[in-house]
Amino acid sequence: MNEDRRRILELLAQGKITADEAERLISALEKEPASGSPNQGSDSSPRAKPKPKYLRVLVESQEGAAPDNPSLVNVRVPMQLLRAGVKLVSLIPVQARDHVNGALRENGVPFDLSQIKPENLEEIVDQLEDLTVDVDQKNEKVKVRVFCE
Amino acid sequence: MMPFAAEISIRNRRRRPLQLWIPLALLWILLLPVVALLLPVFLIACLIGDVPPLHAVAVLWKILNSLDDTEFSVDKPEFSFSVHIY
Repeated sequence: MNEDRRRILELLAQGKITADEAERLISALEKEPASGSPNQGSDSSPRAKPKPKYLRVLVESQEGAAPDNPSLVNVRVPMQLLRAGVKLVSLIPVQARDHVNGALRENGVPFDLSQIKPENLEEIVDQLEDLTVDVDQKNEKVKVRVFCE
Repeated sequence: MMPFAAEISIRNRRRRPLQLWIPLALLWILLLPVVALLLPVFLIACLIGDVPPLHAVAVLWKILNSLDDTEFSVDKPEFSFSVHIY
């Protein structure tokens, strides 16, 4: 990666490319590891993350929590259970599925249940780095963290 | 792998803590006759719902096999409850 960057800078210094072009090339290089395939060169291998095994939901109290046990709710669901759960959609009878789809459409959610596939779950997991939601209640502030591990 | 045990733990300030180990492996064996009895009902339900029975069995089997290592706990200063499936 550094080699490519140096080459771009050399081309810029030699006047073979403009500053605009150099900037575009460098930003393309920076984007490359995120969008590239897993079979990239050795430069990208340290960034490759292991496949997550669990989806974890933690509800933590931000104020007045005991220091030794700060989490209020702790849910750990194996990813394989979620993947299997997605397949449950295929067991919904066609009439019921149409009924649900119609109700969703009526409420402004144009969504087809039959389109849910385990691959969709993988896409969500890929994007789900660490989601944090702050919930303000009457007496206490609660933080909900959803992440994969 | 099919879950073989579940640990349920309930702690309450006013009462003695309760910790239950449920041998699920044994439960599966005990449930086998019930499954055999319910099989015709399941097949009829599949026919009515237009769902391939073998596919339904495969999905349910996969879900059952994916249950191990599921954990759920609620902790409050005065009360705590947790379920862990092994």
